Amino acid sequence: MTELLTIRNLGVAYGGLLAVDDVELVIHANEVMGLIGPNGAGKTTTIDAICGFIPHAVGTIALGGQAIQQLAPHERARSGLVRTFQSVELFDDLTVRENLVVAAQAPRWYSLVFDAVRPNRARSFTAVDRAIELTEIAALSTLRPNELSHGQRRIVGVARALAASPALVLLDEPAAGLDPQETERLGALIHRLPSEGIGVLLVDHDMALVLEVCDRITVLDFGRVIASGTPDEIRSNDVVIAAYLGSSSE
Amino acid sequence: MSYIENALSGLQGGAVIAALAIGLVLTFRASNVINLAHGAIGMYSAYVYFGLRNFKLASTELGGDLVLPIIGAPSKVHLLDRPTASSAFLVAIAIAIGLGALLYGFVFRPLRSAPPLARVVASLGVFLYLQSVMNVRVKEIGAGALSLQLESLLPQGVVRIGSAKVPTAAFALAGLVIACAVALGVLFRFTRFGLATRAAAEQERGAILTGISPNRLGVFNWMLASGLAGVSVILITGVQQKIDPTETSLLIVPALAAALLGRLDGFGLTTVAGLAIGMTQGAVSWFQLRASLPSWMPNGGLAQAVPLIVILAAISLRGSSLPNRAALLERQLPESPVPKHPVLWTSLLFVGATVALFTLDAQWRLAIVVSIIAGFIGLASVVVTGYVGQISLAQYAFAGLAAFGTAKLAIQGLPFPFAPIVAIAITVFVGILMGLPAVRVRGMTLAVATIAAAVAIEQLVFASSSLTGLESPPRPRLFGIDLGFTATGDNNFRAAFGMLALVLLCAAIIVVANLRRSATGLRWLAVRGNERAAAAAGIDVSRTKLSAFAVSALLAGIGGSLLAYESPSLSSQQFMVVGALAVLALCYLGGIASISGALMAGVLASGGVLTQLQGGNTGNASSYQFAVSGLLLVVVAVLYPDGVIAGLRNAITRWSKHAGKNTPTAGTQSTRVAS
Repeated sequence: MTELLTIRNLGVAYGGLLAVDDVELVIHANEVMGLIGPNGAGKTTTIDAICGFIPHAVGTIALGGQAIQQLAPHERARSGLVRTFQSVELFDDLTVRENLVVAAQAPRWYSLVFDAVRPNRARSFTAVDRAIELTEIAALSTLRPNELSHGQRRIVGVARALAASPALVLLDEPAAGLDPQETERLGALIHRLPSEGIGVLLVDHDMALVLEVCDRITVLDFGRVIASGTPDEIRSNDVVIAAYLGSSSE
Repeated sequence: MSYIENALSGLQGGAVIAALAIGLVLTFRASNVINLAHGAIGMYSAYVYFGLRNFKLASTELGGDLVLPIIGAPSKVHLLDRPTASSAFLVAIAIAIGLGALLYGFVFRPLRSAPPLARVVASLGVFLYLQSVMNVRVKEIGAGALSLQLESLLPQGVVRIGSAKVPTAAFALAGLVIACAVALGVLFRFTRFGLATRAAAEQERGAILTGISPNRLGVFNWMLASGLAGVSVILITGVQQKIDPTETSLLIVPALAAALLGRLDGFGLTTVAGLAIGMTQGAVSWFQLRASLPSWMPNGGLAQAVPLIVILAAISLRGSSLPNRAALLERQLPESPVPKHPVLWTSLLFVGATVALFTLDAQWRLAIVVSIIAGFIGLASVVVTGYVGQISLAQYAFAGLAAFGTAKLAIQGLPFPFAPIVAIAITVFVGILMGLPAVRVRGMTLAVATIAAAVAIEQLVFASSSLTGLESPPRPRLFGIDLGFTATGDNNFRAAFGMLALVLLCAAIIVVANLRRSATGLRWLAVRGNERAAAAAGIDVSRTKLSAFAVSALLAGIGGSLLAYESPSLSSQQFMVVGALAVLALCYLGGIASISGALMAGVLASGGVLTQLQGGNTGNASSYQFAVSGLLLVVVAVLYPDGVIAGLRNAITRWSKHAGKNTPTAGTQSTRVAS
C-alpha cells in the first residue's frame, strides 16, 4: 500500500506545554484511520498542525511523498488535504451549494477581471455535484446554513470538504450531536470514501462509529501516541483501556 | 537648539496622547468599544473651560458662559460670574465626566454585544456630532483660537538640561500622566473594582453571577476616562495655545496608535508609547526645520506621519494572516443580498439621472455630480467593508491620491484619458501595497490602522507644499467633445461632465454587481464569514482580501479623479479622514453590504442631492448638516445595530411571521432547532 500522508516528529508547544509531542502517523491510500483519545489529548491540535493552522508546529508532513510543511493552509487544502471543523464553521452568507462551490473552485490570476465582466454563476462543477450526491444533500442546496438543523450542518461541512476534491479528508468530530440515524448514514459515507479514492482521518468520541468504520486506529494521550493498530487490537489494549476507553468496554 | 530639546518638548504632546490612550484602554475594557470620540470629549471640555474663563477683568464682560453642544439650543448659557480658574476647571471636568456617563448609558452600554461596525459607527457619530456642532459654535460666538484667552494652568519657565532648554510644562504634563498611569495600575491590580472590571470584560455573565454589576463598573470607567481626557486636553491647550474643534478631536489618531501598541490592555506600555510618539514628533520636527531634506521629501506633516508609520509596521508585524483557534468570531455584518436585475436598475438610474442632468439647473447638476463622486467612495466602502468585512477608512486618502495625481499629471501635459488612468493605476498600486500589511490585522485594529494610514498619507502627501492649492487640471476632451465641468456664463456647470461621471458610475455598479454574483464575490463573503474555514476550503485569504483592497482603491480612485475635474482647486481638506468616516457611516445607514447602500450614501452626502432638495448648498440649512447626520448615526446604530435596511427586513419578517403564525415555514422551524 502506498503512503498517502506521512507524519514524522510532529510537535506543537504552547509555552512549556507540549500539546503534541513527537507524533508519528502514516495513513495509506484507501484507508480510514481513526484518531482517538481523551479530551485535551491533542487530537484537534494534531489536525490543526497537519493542515497548517499552527505556524510554529515542528516536524515533517508529506502528502503523497511531497513535503508540505512549508505550505500555507489554503495551499495544503488545494494539494488535497482538506479538513472539517469540530464547530462546523459554514459560511453563513452563502447557500449550501455556494459553500461547496467556493471550496471546489480555485481562482486564477485573471478571475477578478473575468468575474467583473461576466459573472459565471451558472457554471456546473462536477466535484460539487459529486459531493452533493455522496452526502445526499441535494434537497438542501439552495438553503442557507442558518436554515439547517445541527445534523444537516455537520453533513454539509463534510460535503464542503469533499467538494474540494481531497486526497485525504480530516474529519474533526463529524458525529458530535448527530442522532442515531444521522450517525449511521455518516458511517456509511465514511466507509464509502476509500472506494472514491479518498483517504480519511477520523477524530470522534463515538467509539461505536470509530471501531466500525476505521481500518486502523491511533490513540493519543497527553499529546503522545500511546497505541496504534486495528480496531480489535485497540479494543483489547490495556494502555488504551486505562487511558481512554475505561472499564465499560471490558 | 538640538533635537534632544525638541524631543523633550515633545513630551507635552506625548503626555496628552498617553492620557487619551489610557482613556481608550479604560473604555475598551469596560465596554469593548474603541471610542473614536474620545478626543472630541476632551475638546468639548476644553471649550467649556476656556469659554467660562473668557472674560477681561477690566471690562464689563463677565465670562462664565457655558458653550452648549446641542442643536437648536442657544449657543451658550450664562453659568457663573467671573469664575476662578479652579471653579471653571471643576465645572469643565464635571461636564466631561457627565458626558462620559451619558455616552456609556445611552449609546455604548446598549451596543456592547452589537456587531463591531455598529460600535465604530456609533462612536463616529458622537465624534462627528461634537466636532461639527462645535465648529458651528466657534463660528457663531467667535470663540476661535485667537479670541479665547488660552491661559496655561501649568508652571511657566524652562528647565535647563545641558544646553537644552525644555519648558517646565513638558515635564509637569509627563509627570502627571505617568502618575495617573501608576495610580490606575495600582487601582486595577489591587482593588476589588479593578479586578471586577477585568473580570466583567472577560465574561459579563460570569461577573453578574458573582454579584458584580457591569453597569456600575462600565459607567465608572467611562467617567474616569472622560474626566482624564478633559484634564489633559485643557492642560495641553493652555500650553500649546491652540484649539480647534477638528484638529483637537483628531488627537485621537496618535492616541489610538499608542493604545494599539499597548494592545488595549495595561497602562504601562500605553503610556510609554504615547510619550514616545510625542517625543518622536518633536525630534522629527527638528530635522524638518534644520536638516536640509532632499527636495522630493514631503516638507509638511512628517512629524505627524512618522510615528504613525512606525506603529502601523509594528502592529502588522505582530498580526497573523489567519486568526487563531481561540479568537472569538465577532457578530456578523448585515446580510449581503445578491443583486437582482442589476442591469435593469442601473438603466433606470442612468435614464433618470440623464434626464435630471439635461433638464434641471446648474446647481442641480453640481449636486448630482457630488452625489456620483460620493457614490464611488461608497462603492469602495461596500466592497472592502460590506463584502469582505474589513473595516477600512482610507477611501478618501485613495481618492485624494488619484485626484492630486490626475491634476499633477494633466497639468504637466499628459492628455485627458491618460492622466486619470495613470493616476488611478498608481492609486490601485498603493492600495495593494497598503493591503499587504492590512491583511494581517482585522476588526477594530484594522479600522484604527487604516485611520492612521489615511492620516499619514494626508500629512505626507496632501499637505506637501508642491500640492496644496493645486489648480484643477485642464479641461478633459475626448474625440473632440469638451467634457469639462465649468463653463462661463449662466449655465456654469455643464451636463457633459455629469454624463461622463454617470456613465462611469453605472459601469462601476454593473462591475460590482457582477463581482458580487460571481465566484469572486462568494470568496469575499466566505472570508468575511470565517477566515479559518475559508483557508481550510482552499481559499487564499490574504489574496482574497487584497483583491478587494485593489477593487476598492480603483473605485475610490475613479471618484477622486472625477473630483479633480469637478473642483476649482484641490486642497488636503477635501480628503480628510473625517470625510471617509462620514461616507462609511452613511453607507452603513443604507446597508453597508449592498450597492444600494453606496448609492444612498451618495444621495445623503454633504452637498449632494439631498442637500439640494433641502434648499441647496448656499443656504444656512446645511451648517448643522454634519451634526444632524452624526446624531442620526448614533440613534440608528443604537436602534438598528445591523443597519437600517437589515432592521427593516427583520421587522418585515417579524410582521409576516406574526401574520401567518399558523403556517410557519420549514426554515423557521429548523432555525429554532439549531438555536
